[in-house]
Formats: sequence, C-alpha cells, structure tokens
Amino acid sequence: MSFCLELHLQQSEDYEILISNAGFKEAKTVIENHAPKILYVKPGAKVLGARIIGIPPIPIGIDEAQSKITLPYTKPCHGTAVVELPVEKEEIDKVKAISVNPLKK
Amino acid sequence: MEKVLILLGCPESPSQTPLALYTAHKLTKMGFDVTVASTPSAAKLLEVSDSEEFYVQKKVDLEKCLENLEEKEYDLLVGFVHKDAAVSYFVTFYHILNIKSFAIVFEKDAELLEKFLNDLTENTDATLISARAYHNPTPLRVKIDKAFKELED
Repeated sequence: MSFCLELHLQQSEDYEILISNAGFKEAKTVIENHAPKILYVKPGAKVLGARIIGIPPIPIGIDEAQSKITLPYTKPCHGTAVVELPVEKEEIDKVKAISVNPLKK
Repeated sequence: MEKVLILLGCPESPSQTPLALYTAHKLTKMGFDVTVASTPSAAKLLEVSDSEEFYVQKKVDLEKCLENLEEKEYDLLVGFVHKDAAVSYFVTFYHILNIKSFAIVFEKDAELLEKFLNDLTENTDATLISARAYHNPTPLRVKIDKAFKELED
C-alpha cells in the first residue's frame, strides 16, 4: 500500500514539525539547512502521495541514514510548515526519480 | 465552451468573497464555463452569499481539485492571492495547468503586496491584477474589468 501523507499526519504521531505558520521561503531555508541531502521537485509533484505546493524549485530533504524525508506542507489559512517523518527507502527512491536536479549536498 | 478555474485563498480578507462572485458572474456572462475551487470555509461564505447559486454553480474542494488536476484540464486560471500560502497555491496550479492565467493580488501592507507580486512575476507569466486592498473591493473590481477586456477580443 502506498504512503499517504495526509493520513499519516492525521493518524500517527511519528513525525516532527520543524517550523509552522511560516512563509514558503522561510520553510525552504529550514529544509535546506536541516537535511543532509536536498532534492528539488517541481510544484505539484507527488511526494508521499500528496501534491507538493510551493515556489520552484521546491526542496525535499533526504536523510538516507535515518530513512527520513523533510518536506514543506502548505495550507491556505495556515501558511507553510516543515515536516520531517520516517519513510520506507522506496519512498526516497521515488523522490529521486522525480527530482529536477542532482543532489545539492 | 472554454473552462475557467477560479482559485480562492483563505477567506480572511473581506474582499475575496464579493470579488469571487463578481468575477465568476462576469466570466459566465462572457461565455466561460466557471468552476470555483476553495477551502471548505471559503465555500461556506460563497454558499451563504449566493444561496440560490445564481452566480456560482460549480464548486469544488481545493485539495481534491489539486489532487487530480491535469495539464490543460481548464483553459483559463484566475487566482485570488492575498497571503503567502496563496502565492504558493497559485504558482503550483499555474505550473500544473500550464494555461493562460490571471492573478488577482491584494494586501493592505505595501511591502507584502510587493513581495507577492515579485514572487508571481519571477515564477509565472500570469497577468497580474493588483491593488492595496482589504475591505474595499472597488479598486480591484475596476482593474478586473479592464484586464478581462482582453478576453473579449
């Protein structure tokens, strides 16, 4: 069964919010400074079963050692949050497959 | 009939709902098939303001619309932008749809308004309709009328 970000955030406590109610650029800086590796995706790209909302290029933080992904999560009335959560390795591979540029770090 | 998607943001600004109804009706009269995508709270404001669905007949949930959205699914995008998150949503819809687009940008703070306009200019080729506005929708209504004249040609 494929990962569903919305469901995970509703039903699990296994995630960390690094920043909330932020602007997109602020959230982008948090991801770029936090994650060991950064992949960039296009606006609307599907990551963990959800469309990623933001201004291109959108960073997705990758921590392969801990098998974690850090990503922006935007809602119309609440701005942008940055969420870090554990994922299966195959989800990291899916992000690699849709990234628009090589690893930055 | 060409299809237009009107994208609403957070309904916090009092100008958004009346301008959305005005814009939807104007585009319908111009011959467009209009769909409004919004959050549940923005949809409630539309439902109460237009209880007989005189101005807006087609409404979709913003998140469901985004989830299944495909390139060229609509012919025209009109987005209301008055928060940082609305810039992100508009840019995302713009890049997925890849169609002619108008962004109606409003904010009472001049610096924030300029930031929103810069972000949209750098990341889209959308036509920008903007004003320092919060309570008063009239300056934007006048600019919307002027900008949409190009659709009549």
